Amino acid sequence: MRLNILIGGQAGQGINAVSGIVSAVLCSQGYFTFNYRDYPSLIRGGHNFNILSISEEKIGSHESKLDGIVAMDDKTVEIHKKELGKGGVVIDFKGFEALGRNLNIALAGALIRVLGIEKQVLIEAVKKQFNTPEALDAAEKGFNSQNKKFELKKLDNRLSIMTGSAAVAQGAINSGINLYLGYPMTPSTPLLQELAGQQEKYGFMVFQPENEIAVINAGLGASFAGAKVMVGSSGGGFDLMTEAMSLQGQSEVPLVVYLASRPGPGTGLPTSTSQSDLNLALRAGHGEFPRIVVAPGDPIEAIEKTNEAFYLSEKFGCLSIILSDKHLAEGEFSFATQPNKPIKVEVKRKVPGEAIVKASSYEHDEAGNTVETAEITKKNADNRIKKYQQIKKEVSKFEMIKIHGNPKSKNLLVGWGSTKGAILDAIRGLDYKFLQVLYMKPLSNEIKKELQGANKVILIENNLTGQLGRLIREKTGISIKNKILKYDGRPFLSDELKKEILKIK
Amino acid sequence: MAKQKTTSTKDKLSTKSVITWCPGCPNHMILEAAKRVFAKLIDEKKVKQEDIAIVTGIGCHAKIFDYINTSGFYGLHGRVVPTALGIKLGNPNLTVVGFEGDGDAYAEGMEHFVHAGRFNANITLIVHDNQAFALTTGQATPTTQQGYKNKVEPSGQHNLPINPVKIALASGASFVARTYALNLEHMTKTIEAAIKHKGFSYVEVIQPCLQFNKEMDEIRKLTYEIPDNKDDMDKAMKIASEWDYNTKTGKIPIGIIYQIEKPTLEDNWQQLSELMKKKVGWKRK
Repeated sequence: MRLNILIGGQAGQGINAVSGIVSAVLCSQGYFTFNYRDYPSLIRGGHNFNILSISEEKIGSHESKLDGIVAMDDKTVEIHKKELGKGGVVIDFKGFEALGRNLNIALAGALIRVLGIEKQVLIEAVKKQFNTPEALDAAEKGFNSQNKKFELKKLDNRLSIMTGSAAVAQGAINSGINLYLGYPMTPSTPLLQELAGQQEKYGFMVFQPENEIAVINAGLGASFAGAKVMVGSSGGGFDLMTEAMSLQGQSEVPLVVYLASRPGPGTGLPTSTSQSDLNLALRAGHGEFPRIVVAPGDPIEAIEKTNEAFYLSEKFGCLSIILSDKHLAEGEFSFATQPNKPIKVEVKRKVPGEAIVKASSYEHDEAGNTVETAEITKKNADNRIKKYQQIKKEVSKFEMIKIHGNPKSKNLLVGWGSTKGAILDAIRGLDYKFLQVLYMKPLSNEIKKELQGANKVILIENNLTGQLGRLIREKTGISIKNKILKYDGRPFLSDELKKEILKIK
Repeated sequence: MAKQKTTSTKDKLSTKSVITWCPGCPNHMILEAAKRVFAKLIDEKKVKQEDIAIVTGIGCHAKIFDYINTSGFYGLHGRVVPTALGIKLGNPNLTVVGFEGDGDAYAEGMEHFVHAGRFNANITLIVHDNQAFALTTGQATPTTQQGYKNKVEPSGQHNLPINPVKIALASGASFVARTYALNLEHMTKTIEAAIKHKGFSYVEVIQPCLQFNKEMDEIRKLTYEIPDNKDDMDKAMKIASEWDYNTKTGKIPIGIIYQIEKPTLEDNWQQLSELMKKKVGWKRK
């Protein structure tokens, strides 16, 4: 069983509350959900929609054919009716106008009824989130307005729902973060706000300086003074940080950077998704210095890989970049499994206050003072390469790649990051193996073996040029000929992706 | 008779790095003043040597990083203020002093300079203002006088200079002072007062560049000491307006131009206040 329900309306009408209530109810009933958010860059008006995908099995994507539309305005049905499948349901806002801002709760109630879930479960969920007489009345009115169309019986799954942003925050908290610095920019803002909301509870600090250049330089200053620091941004904001990433390479002050991608170039599409910043993460900053780039594909991986990024950055005094995108950052995933136990992140180095410690952007001697000799320049450069060898060794203890689907299949799909959900949903029941690359730098040696062992290889990326494909070619000499690339600012839909995969013989 | 050898605190603040400033450069004086102040604070037990962290930008001024034996961050050009603020966020118990050039502070780093007063972290910023980019061989900075000929502007600088003191006052710095690099005594006492001030302290050091912007050396006879001004902003603006950084006549006031007590970044953030109470940074929390 799989259902896809679109909830649409104007910005500010509260469509996220509809999907939020319904997801919470479905989660309590043991159903997996994935909620996709699609919205333009405006605060009031326009057309926003969520697509809530529902299944008895784990899912991580949505599909193109709709089973229902919940319309909070006239435009929604007009725009989306062609996507509605045969026998699809439309739940309209008309008739609920008198409820004012509680319209969203009434429509959530109506949808719960259509899905065939008990009224009591709805009432409890609304009580938990809103608990006003008006909200409860709206839920009741909505529920009573519809007939049951589906029969979603309670299942045994114990599930949680999380966005990728909340998961990165969790990973940072598990690592004992002391300071997060950021400047608002979609889609990295959700992490900034998520951590800001949790700072008091966990006793760390979140600070918003004047711009991204201040963010990262202050981040390095704080880390130098002994704090565990993460900074974050997107697109252009990350670009502004690149000079200081190079400073990290010279000063060797530990730093974790979160990059949530959106389509560029330029301002691009601020609220859409893209995997076009892999090259940027791999190469940002002048000069030659080691770094780690890790790209989680779902919230569980985001929790674990963020923790690894902190651990590695502190252990080696290196730059760890966590690469995400709008789809992972703002997608709402449900899952039944728990992340691995966190690795302890300890600051063992001497810091100011304990000893005289110098960090420098200049080539320097062991005490930190400037040296411009050929000998020390070469020695320091050699040490940077040696450090990267050590990093590679340490990273090999972690999951650098994952194999999904049929492990014996000769048909191999290669992808990374937020496309994971759609790829897994697309190949369910098919004879395909999916190689998910988690560490983009260092890159696993296993990738070459997997490519050599396959008969058919398809690269799947949410960008124009197949950046992982080029990285793999650079490291292995193998060029992946078959490519499924999507670069319209939207994520893959699993049913459409499945068709694309099956087209390639 | 052999002299008895003792190591003074000031000696302990020295390093083995060879000083590479031009002979006679007033940067030598700024180094001397900084070391005198640090030594005094250490001797008075106001601060421990390992609790001092300096930050520098890039340029002639920044070589001071190699010549002072304290912790420090030799940062990027223009980024002294955020780096210093960051060190304070990492451990609010450290005494953080930034040294920055006029190119650093007022060209590349102006976006940070104007926000420092707003955050009011308890840090000190000392700007070595020689009205030229010296280490890159003499180009004009935002405080360079009109008509200054250099390799980039062979026909002379067309623009009038900015007045950084007025900018600091307008953007909320809680301690604003100006001193003169060749007046060692005045410079030392001004830097000491700046470090002792609770909040963002800004010291503008007028420093002739004897190699490139030689004509501004004429102003050395114009400086005069003013009595400390406290929180009278109108008066501070008047003092700051006495010299426009362009003319080589008139008077150039030096001294504490403005000083006000207001809540610091560390006061405003409970997380930092707690670290201060416990006298630790995040590492030992």
